[in-house]
Amino acid sequence: MSEAERQSCVHCGLPIAPADLVLEQDADQEFSFCCHGCRGAWLIIRGAGLENFYTRKELKHEPLKEIHSSQFDRTYLQNFVTESSTGAEISLIIDGIRCASCIWLIERYMQQIPGVLAARVNFATHRLLLRFDPHLVEITQLCWKLSQLGYLPRPYSQDELRTSMESERRSLLIRFGTAVFLSMQLMGFSIALYAGYFEGIDPQTRLLLQILAALVTTPVIFYAGYPFLRGAWFSLRNLAPNMDLLIAMGSLTAYSYSLFALATGREVYFDTAAMIVTLILAGRLFESSARHRATAGLDRLLQLAPATASRLVDGQTDQMDSRLLEPGDLILISPGDRFPVDGLILNGCSEVDEAAVNGEAIPVFRQAGDRVKAGTQNLNGTLTLEVEAKAADSFIARIGRMVEQAQTRKAPIQNLADRISGIFIPTVLSIAVLTFIYWGADQNALLHAITVLVVACPCALGLATPTAVMVATGRAAEEGVLFRGGDTLEAASQLNLLAFDKTGTLTEGRPQVIAINAVNAVNDQLELLCCAAQLESGSRHPLAQGISVEAKRRQIFCSQLANIQQIPGKGLIAREEKLLGGSAEFLREQGILLSETLDDSTASEVHFAQDGRYLGSICLQDIARQEAAKTFSLLRSQGYSTLLLSGDQPGSAKKISESLKIDRWLAPLTPEQKTLEIERLTELGNKILMTGDGINDAPALAAATVSCSIAGSSDIAMEQAGLLLTRPNLLLLPWALKTSQKTMTIIHQNLFWAFSYNLIAIPLAASGKLLPVYGAAAMALSSIGVLLNSLRLKRISPP
Amino acid sequence: MMTTILLLIFLSFCIGTGVWVFFIYAVKKGQFDDIEAAKYRMLDDDDEEPPTPSTNQH
Repeated sequence: MSEAERQSCVHCGLPIAPADLVLEQDADQEFSFCCHGCRGAWLIIRGAGLENFYTRKELKHEPLKEIHSSQFDRTYLQNFVTESSTGAEISLIIDGIRCASCIWLIERYMQQIPGVLAARVNFATHRLLLRFDPHLVEITQLCWKLSQLGYLPRPYSQDELRTSMESERRSLLIRFGTAVFLSMQLMGFSIALYAGYFEGIDPQTRLLLQILAALVTTPVIFYAGYPFLRGAWFSLRNLAPNMDLLIAMGSLTAYSYSLFALATGREVYFDTAAMIVTLILAGRLFESSARHRATAGLDRLLQLAPATASRLVDGQTDQMDSRLLEPGDLILISPGDRFPVDGLILNGCSEVDEAAVNGEAIPVFRQAGDRVKAGTQNLNGTLTLEVEAKAADSFIARIGRMVEQAQTRKAPIQNLADRISGIFIPTVLSIAVLTFIYWGADQNALLHAITVLVVACPCALGLATPTAVMVATGRAAEEGVLFRGGDTLEAASQLNLLAFDKTGTLTEGRPQVIAINAVNAVNDQLELLCCAAQLESGSRHPLAQGISVEAKRRQIFCSQLANIQQIPGKGLIAREEKLLGGSAEFLREQGILLSETLDDSTASEVHFAQDGRYLGSICLQDIARQEAAKTFSLLRSQGYSTLLLSGDQPGSAKKISESLKIDRWLAPLTPEQKTLEIERLTELGNKILMTGDGINDAPALAAATVSCSIAGSSDIAMEQAGLLLTRPNLLLLPWALKTSQKTMTIIHQNLFWAFSYNLIAIPLAASGKLLPVYGAAAMALSSIGVLLNSLRLKRISPP
Repeated sequence: MMTTILLLIFLSFCIGTGVWVFFIYAVKKGQFDDIEAAKYRMLDDDDEEPPTPSTNQH
């Protein structure tokens, strides 16, 4: 076996800390693992004959990290199981799915368990639908097996909101499909009718085709177009004209005029009526699928704090709903679990990953007497916790409430299209009425009034915004930018101030080596790095991983040391080699004399010593993303002012704003302070874009005019984001803002075109000089013009 | 002439209706609920038959 293979775990691919090495003999081969959990998972996978899992390439990028050791409560899980004659069914949200391989493994593995009838994971929502025979296998057993694979299953209760959203999506799809099918039939009849108009047609055939056209158009208007009709009715009742009213009016006037024409032997324009409904349905469908993709993370976020907890009662643990925990209860938290509530540690010590709270990647050492927050993760020790607040008052719950409040305080954006229809519709209606009154005595009075409505048919107006939005969101999605809807696109074009979070947004969120300070002349930098890598390569601490990465980058491959002892929160010791590494404090405790340490609070320093002799230190820092500088120079050239809102120390905030030339920075800020700052600036008349990645940014994201989040952010940030960059590349942001501006330009051009057509056609129609057939032709032309103009957005150059 | 047109219209309507009914059926069966999955599942299909589960699982 090669050196490289010995160093990394067969199952998860992570480097093995020598102290943790677990060996498994199989025939003549020896396999090494980083922990018993990985060995267990490997045995299960091999036992099930699924070794293919290890050959799948994606695994190399995203190794499984934690093995969950949670217990599952039968009575609790049973609430979520629905039983039927064909077997029981449960929906589980699976935590820990990272790639297609995970899904493959879960499905294959579950299907092999006797009693499981079907296992199907949804790729977008990470939801596992499990059908099983309750007589053969128990649900707790299935959940336990899943957790043995390294995935944490959580029961998923389908609340009403979610069910209705899903059925709405389906009904929209069916309406659209029906509209397309009928419109295609209609096109055949229409082409024949148009040809007949120019070349002459037998009146009987014409009548037949017209009747057929009417027959297929009717369901398009009243079934497929029902959402618009309903929306229009509501808007009429509330006297607030909106986009739906415009669309309903456009399609209904074209439809009813055509019916009237059919009865009186004139030309019909059913195609116009059907086209507007079909095209706008397509736009709606597109928007809803973009929204669906962006909200896929919601399910996973809602239960960041675990739903169950093990309560300690008289030395016994008992599994219970974490919502029922009372202050003063004692609970036990296993390694790898998240804290369900805020609490005080009574017993044990461990490193805690608080990234969920403050976005900081480096775990914090916590011991008896320290407080921990709900939603943060216990990494490596078992802790006994005294509950200090109910789950409903925990940090996560408070963040949730702050988000809700920020959302309700924010005034909704009124769409340009809604504003326009608010003026346009009353105007056209009054002109039609005036025309009727003017021609009052004339027998053609009604016809003239209808002609006004037909030529003013706001098809082009109705199409102006949705088509441009549809094309632009489609083009943006190709580049990895998701606009959640037309309103976001519109709002994004009006921004003047861009606010950013620091850790994880502007930086990678992973510390990297920035300096190696070797004190001894004997030791040059490479040697120090080699010593450090030997010591640290087995640790999962972000600082240790930063050092290992640097060693690999410089192509230093050195053997790993055996017998490394890890002292949580302090450092590492290799007893045999007398090699020490850790904080300055730790080395002093061990009796090492340190030279002056850096007083740069922005970087983390790891010190090393051997045989009681100080070797030097390595500085690590979470540095700015590679493309950050270019992004900010682009944003500056586009005329935006920038603001940094960081929860981190002032020193690092200042440093990064100076290097990126950010206009203003504020640090350290709590989530509340970030939100208040955004609200204060909004009141001053700024249109603000907030970009953030952490749970602590969520309230600020909700308060901003437009919120933006980058791939790899926490689920709640992505859920909040109106603008989602699906690739971890900041350069997409200036491109997205530019695209939104171009889209608004196109929309304005479309509106201008549609209005100037109306401006000429309506007076002609009102004066009775325009034959309806020319009006209809002009109407079709203006719609096509709008469409073609919108399609220009397809050609925006990539970022 | 007229009968030909009628026949053709009727035929095209029947074919269209068939496709439409099939589409509705597919939507109701949830075929469009997870359009992301198809491109991955396609790659999984050529694996050999999964062997029967062994009994020494935990």
